[in-house]
Amino acid sequence: MMRSPTSSLVVVLMLTSTVSAFAQVNAAPSRKGPVPPPGQPDLSDVNWILNGGGPTVFSAWTLTPDGKRRMDAYDFKTDDPAYSCTAASWTRAWLNPNALVHITQGPDFVRLQHEFMDIDRRIPLSNPRDPNPKRLRIPRHPQLGASAAWYEGNVLTIDTIDVAAGYMETIAERAGMPQSARMHTVERVHREGDRLVIETTYVDPVNYQSPFVSTIRYLKNDWDLMEYGCIPEEAAITSPR
Amino acid sequence: MKSPLVLAGLVLVISTIARNSTAHHSTVVNFDSNREVTISGVLTEIRWLNPHSRFRVDVRNPEGRVEEWLVEMGAANTLKRAGFPTERFAVGDPVTITGAAGRRDRAVLLREVTLSNGTHLTPDMRPRAPGRDVSGE
Repeated sequence: MMRSPTSSLVVVLMLTSTVSAFAQVNAAPSRKGPVPPPGQPDLSDVNWILNGGGPTVFSAWTLTPDGKRRMDAYDFKTDDPAYSCTAASWTRAWLNPNALVHITQGPDFVRLQHEFMDIDRRIPLSNPRDPNPKRLRIPRHPQLGASAAWYEGNVLTIDTIDVAAGYMETIAERAGMPQSARMHTVERVHREGDRLVIETTYVDPVNYQSPFVSTIRYLKNDWDLMEYGCIPEEAAITSPR
Repeated sequence: MKSPLVLAGLVLVISTIARNSTAHHSTVVNFDSNREVTISGVLTEIRWLNPHSRFRVDVRNPEGRVEEWLVEMGAANTLKRAGFPTERFAVGDPVTITGAAGRRDRAVLLREVTLSNGTHLTPDMRPRAPGRDVSGE
């Protein structure tokens, strides 16, 4: 018995839609950001979040007498820059849990968008041998200083100077760690599979007797960034009336 | 018979309970995770904000005077991703809140809130995968 053209068409359409549905279910998730230029490590296909990335580790750090005085003077009730919707340091921004980071890589820039405080860090790429690289400064966050960036192989290196003096950390047992205007940090960001590792070296001879290092680990995440929209008048409310 | 959640306003220091709590941004600094407090009162303000959401709660103290308590919670973005049912709360609702005692007077970091119908809610601070059905109960 010959099949009619109509029934053959129906079969073809059914097969086509089945294949299409199967392909959609099994398609690779779409990238969060465009493919980076050749030669750059791919840090952009996913978004990143602190939670679940692994332990944060600080190497031993020893305060100078001035540093100890500053840390002892920290008052959590008044000295946390978050009360005015500003970030205490890049480390503090990286250490904010539950807030995403999105990275976009271009031929002459790298952009790290921190959901925390809506920080947009679009850094021009420089030659690491340039003694005066172009630096990004974010006026709303004076404690974040001026940053230059370049790649060293698979590592994104971000060099920051000229921070405003204050407190680099406001979390847990590190709350009150000071930073002077001489603080110099180098963040080395690299990917290990589903993790983003941010290793930061700190040099601040005013407050610390020797350099120390922190390692912060992020995990890939499928959420999109949301506006943070911190309002200083609201962030400053920490006590009942 | 009055619901236990009707404004009786007892502030109870339950006990010094050692808890393993992840240091959520500045919570260890601002709150004592080893001291738990439970308050019952009426919501007078609800603000879903970043970096911290908050309630204000009118609580009747043991002397019968109404005092305001500040209840802090996580960032609004985090609560939204965790599926915390923010729509369940309205000014005027009676609530019972348990959490870590603040290092400021009359402040508490929310661990659990009980609504007038007996529903217990905890703000799960772990972001869920997008698209997953979530429930705060």
